[in-house]
Amino acid sequence: MQLSLKTKSKIKSKSKTFANISMTLAAATCALAAPATAQPSESDSWDVDLGLLIYAESDDQVQAYEGALSITKQIDDESSINVKGIIDVLTGASPNGAVAQNRAQTFTRPSGNGSYTTAAGDTPLDDTFRDTRVALSTQYQHQLSRLWLYSGGAYLSKEYDYLALSINSALARDFNNRNTTASAGFAFAYDTIEPEGGIPNPGVSVDAADNRLTDSDTKQTLDLLFGLTQVINRQTLMQLNYSLSDISGYQTDPFKILSVVDSNGWANDYVYENRPDQRTKQSLFWRTKYNLQPSGQVLDVSYRYFWDDWGITSHTIDSKWRVQLANQHFIEPHLRYYSQQAADFYRVYLDENQPIPEFMTADYRLGELHTYTIGLKYGFPIAGNEFSVRLEYYLTQVTGDDSLAKGAGMAGVDLYPDKSAIMLQSFYRF
Amino acid sequence: MKKNYTLKRQTDYWLGEFTVMASPCQILLDNLDEALADSLTAIAYAEAKRIELKFSRFRDDNIIARLNSTDNETIALDDETTRLINLADLCFQLSDGLFDISSGVLGKLWHFKQQIQLPSDTDIKALLPNIGWQKANWNKPLLRLPKGMQIDLGGIGKEYAVDKVAQLLEQQIQLQQTKSAFLVNFGGDIYANKLRSNGHSWQVAIEDTQQLGESKLMVSLTQGGLASSGDSQRFIDVDGQRYSHILNPKTGYPIAGGPAQVTVYAQNCMQAGMLATIALLQGEFAEDFLRAQDCRYWLSD
Repeated sequence: MQLSLKTKSKIKSKSKTFANISMTLAAATCALAAPATAQPSESDSWDVDLGLLIYAESDDQVQAYEGALSITKQIDDESSINVKGIIDVLTGASPNGAVAQNRAQTFTRPSGNGSYTTAAGDTPLDDTFRDTRVALSTQYQHQLSRLWLYSGGAYLSKEYDYLALSINSALARDFNNRNTTASAGFAFAYDTIEPEGGIPNPGVSVDAADNRLTDSDTKQTLDLLFGLTQVINRQTLMQLNYSLSDISGYQTDPFKILSVVDSNGWANDYVYENRPDQRTKQSLFWRTKYNLQPSGQVLDVSYRYFWDDWGITSHTIDSKWRVQLANQHFIEPHLRYYSQQAADFYRVYLDENQPIPEFMTADYRLGELHTYTIGLKYGFPIAGNEFSVRLEYYLTQVTGDDSLAKGAGMAGVDLYPDKSAIMLQSFYRF
Repeated sequence: MKKNYTLKRQTDYWLGEFTVMASPCQILLDNLDEALADSLTAIAYAEAKRIELKFSRFRDDNIIARLNSTDNETIALDDETTRLINLADLCFQLSDGLFDISSGVLGKLWHFKQQIQLPSDTDIKALLPNIGWQKANWNKPLLRLPKGMQIDLGGIGKEYAVDKVAQLLEQQIQLQQTKSAFLVNFGGDIYANKLRSNGHSWQVAIEDTQQLGESKLMVSLTQGGLASSGDSQRFIDVDGQRYSHILNPKTGYPIAGGPAQVTVYAQNCMQAGMLATIALLQGEFAEDFLRAQDCRYWLSD
């Protein structure tokens, strides 16, 4: 924005083109005396972040309660360590993969013990979804030299039937008067699943006598991440990431099944799903942060393109706009759109007259869907420290071929029910 | 002993005041107790005075005097002087030779104090051989000035003092484990560190040089540097043409046709000051230059 105190008395006939030298000057003057970045070490400072989250899906589906505590300690000028602990409690029901029917359906519980019944016209939900997860992670950062930054960490999470372990390591280097940062990193994860009742035999009826394979199975994930962050000008920061993820091992959800439907649309049998043992995921991520000075507003926009060899591609557009209000209060509206194409082996159900395919899932999360998120964060200081609350609403529209709802068994049923959820989150940093 | 500064309680901040580098200097301190406000003002005064003594061209006992009295002799500079000369060298290059710390000698002819006639062309031409930073041999930290060349860091020193004092205040405030906002104002060259505790920005008045003392424009400053270049009190009118006090080191004559004053907002005070000065050196193209810099600016004619 420019402002002339007086309008020019004569119209200028000539103009001249100039190069932008302000970035060079900024770099040179910051090296002389840098008030904005002067941060002498505070060796005994601890940063503690507390977070609480409540997540609730519509129709009494999944509800989650989460508490997180994160402690960061600056060890010296060059290094810091962060330790984080999370406890989640999940309850509620989630779709088991079977289609709704114009009659009641009874399912054996995934554990093999007992059964539950779904009313006619309703999407079958497995009501045994209940778990507590404890996760611990630690991350260490060390400034190796003026331009090199190392970070490494480890993660452990445990729930009743699942154990996840991972390590990660990354290096970042600044270039171009610290206007450019390039980074490369990897993470390796080793997960073990031990579902109650054992690993089901895919493609075999849930009611078959001998439908279990082993007690447990494992999966290994190797992630590689390459990033580039560029200061465009005083207000603008741009980030570009590429990530490659290679997963091998058991990736099937042992609790998900598919309906096997006859020519009249009646599901007479249900079989366990099966996903390939190998998956390669890739994504490209672009983000721009724009800082409006001196008002302090921040606009944060990002786009992610994701694809894998299961046939899934997705687009994510995310935007946040932080508006500074008086007295250190702020609001931050959030909008997000996510759109996904179905995996190649996604089937809403299987056809009794066709052979059972090698790979198949009816899990809507691998189907075609669009998710809309709208949220608002509000923050203000409490005792000089930042407190904030965030409220978000999610709507997931699952889509697919509606003509598949055919025959007496499925006529008129909703094969692709929408899902919605509300999330309430609060943070306090001190 | 009499203090070299004063400290006054204003409605919602402390105001420390002193005079350094022939400029009225102010330190505005938000949300502090009196003892801390007093000690911070003392630190600010001491640092500003140190910079004045070290780099003033009106003294005979500092590095500038030593450099200006050399006869083609190489002098090794200390770290701080090296960094300032480096910045001056960078500005010389970025401005295509218009920002020149060796052009101060022209001030002998162009003093603008009740000056009603132009200096003689012969006198101006006689000074030109002593001007031109490209003639200096700068191989940091070694500097050799040709005989007759005089350098003057007046175009950088005040902005540098603002940023340096701000840096010290920031350090002191962090050591005290407080998070106070402050503003440093040395004769219109300003730096503010953050939003005030009442959630407001500092309101800075930019003086309209046409009507001195009457502030025309208020600028909200939360964080960053603000600096002005230009001064409508110092000019001469000859044949209807106004000559500003900004001199072109290549010709020895004032730069005509530009705005009377340029104010720039940037990350820090030095960056703002260099942009404002280099803009003014572009004369009628000052605004074209500023537009290319992607910064906020204000002009007055």
